[in-house]
Amino acid sequence: MIFFELSQRNIRLNWLRSLLAVLGIVIGVAAIASMGILGNSLTLSVTASLSSVGDSVTVVPSIGGGGMGGPTTANEQITDRQVQQILRAAAPNDVVPVYSGVDRYEIGGDRGVVTVYGITPEDMAVLVDLADGVYPRTTGGALAGATFAENNKLKPGSRLTLGGETIRVVGILEEQGMGFDINPDFALIVSDRFYSHKYEQDGYDMVIVKVRDINDIDAVKDAIDRTLNRRGDDVVTVYDSRAILEVITEAFNQIALFTTAIGGISLLVAGVSIFNVQMMSVTERIKEIGIIRSIGTKRGEVLRMFIYESLILGGVGAGIGGILSFAGGYVVSIIMLQTTEYLFYPSSLVYIPYGIAIGLVVTLLSGLYPAWKAANLNPIEALRYE
Amino acid sequence: MEEDIGPAGPGNGTQPVIRLEGVSKVYSLPFGDVIALDKVSLTIMPGEFIAIMGPSGSGKSTLLNLIGSLDVPSEGRLYIDGEDTSELSDDELTELRRDHIGFIFQQFNLIPLLNVFENVEYPMILKTRQSIRKSRKAHDLLMRIGLTDSMLAHKPKELSGGQQQRVAIARALINDPAILLCDEPTGNLDTKTGEVIMDLLKEVNASGKTVIMVTHDPDVATYASRKITLVDGRIV
Repeated sequence: MIFFELSQRNIRLNWLRSLLAVLGIVIGVAAIASMGILGNSLTLSVTASLSSVGDSVTVVPSIGGGGMGGPTTANEQITDRQVQQILRAAAPNDVVPVYSGVDRYEIGGDRGVVTVYGITPEDMAVLVDLADGVYPRTTGGALAGATFAENNKLKPGSRLTLGGETIRVVGILEEQGMGFDINPDFALIVSDRFYSHKYEQDGYDMVIVKVRDINDIDAVKDAIDRTLNRRGDDVVTVYDSRAILEVITEAFNQIALFTTAIGGISLLVAGVSIFNVQMMSVTERIKEIGIIRSIGTKRGEVLRMFIYESLILGGVGAGIGGILSFAGGYVVSIIMLQTTEYLFYPSSLVYIPYGIAIGLVVTLLSGLYPAWKAANLNPIEALRYE
Repeated sequence: MEEDIGPAGPGNGTQPVIRLEGVSKVYSLPFGDVIALDKVSLTIMPGEFIAIMGPSGSGKSTLLNLIGSLDVPSEGRLYIDGEDTSELSDDELTELRRDHIGFIFQQFNLIPLLNVFENVEYPMILKTRQSIRKSRKAHDLLMRIGLTDSMLAHKPKELSGGQQQRVAIARALINDPAILLCDEPTGNLDTKTGEVIMDLLKEVNASGKTVIMVTHDPDVATYASRKITLVDGRIV
């Protein structure tokens, strides 16, 4: 079309300032897209490091009894019968009943207080990983959390006194990080039999269900809730670590949004420069607009001619910016995350077409007023303009 | 010519090509209205060669703008090729200019971004909506008007004034308009070149086009078959 041809030629005629306007869009699109990629990669990497704890459902006794006032059931612990119910409701996932408490310890001459978990030795591997030693085979063996072991210089074979009874550390746990079910780093893990015998406790303090497929979490949660809280009383509270994880992910998404907004500011500046270039183009060509209007060019056609012009600038800029944003995302990922594995996720790459589309919309909006102004010039006055 | 239902056709002046009935044009300025044209009535028949004369500020340009449908009267009626311009939208006025009127300016006013050939083709592309391709019509017209093949690829500014005005004439004729409007067509040319251009216009007129020309050069005005003189917005 002739108007497209004219737009192209005018851009070529004023190549330097067209180049600068394109550069602005390139930077804007590259900034917005690579920031988006970075933010998304950040969220993905945080989610990945947390997802090892994101697959468990925790069942604890309800606090404060059930129903309207009145101490109905003194349900402060989870009974064997309830564990069986949970097993059935959560099948085929692993169900680990856990005793948990706090006791005094003594190592050499040092005394202190430590969290103690009581778990069936066969189930320990489900919840924790060993860094050294073995899982306990007798009631007298215990596992020491990574931080607890380090602070007290414990090794497999070390002895300590727990609540007056001597036990032997047979294994040291790997550092676990923050967990939402149990926090073993600062704790001791003993066998369930040792625990129930020593503290004369029958009921469990919590039951942890490790869900194999993370998408089943809600179903498992509902099944347990339905089975145990049958009469409308809150006998147990069921929560999943995923809900907590979602809060954290949400926070990182906010950060991602913020970084993208910073990219948006540079795109806004680019929009202003397109506006400026187009206003200059219109002002310089008033006489020409008068000529083409007088020999039969309609308003809409003049409008189109100038819109094309800004779209060419925006299209070229957004295209180059899109390519550069991939490179930019690569570089930023390496610097900030030391890895590029999250760059190739669709949820990261989608920021490139997003960036390009936003870039095009910004140029279209900035080109609109100059084009409208050109189209609505009075042809007689425009012809007289020198 | 391309008129099919012949009001301005070659039927020897049955219908006027331009008719003004009590046309006034008033410009509102902050310090009062300026009456550029004062109840002008005028009839121009097909095939006439009109010279509009008069001192500066007499309303010549205003009259030309009205006839060229670049502007509409404040009062009165103006018919161009049978159409009442006061009832037309901006797009319809633009189409009227594109299809029925050819413009020739003192400054030549060729489009600097287009080369000679494209300048001539431009109004045809506007009308036929076809993309640029080497049309025989534009080429023939340029050759007839006295340009050579080697000039066609040049930008207008690389041509002499006389050559540019020839290109402008070719551009004005490309859509076979009924009316040719010339605003001081020789004003930027030396006497000799001016004569050549006027001979060309005379020839165009002889082929049946109505030529309306604003000038204040009495020698140029002798080419016209009728002179209209304006003073203070009135025909005298």
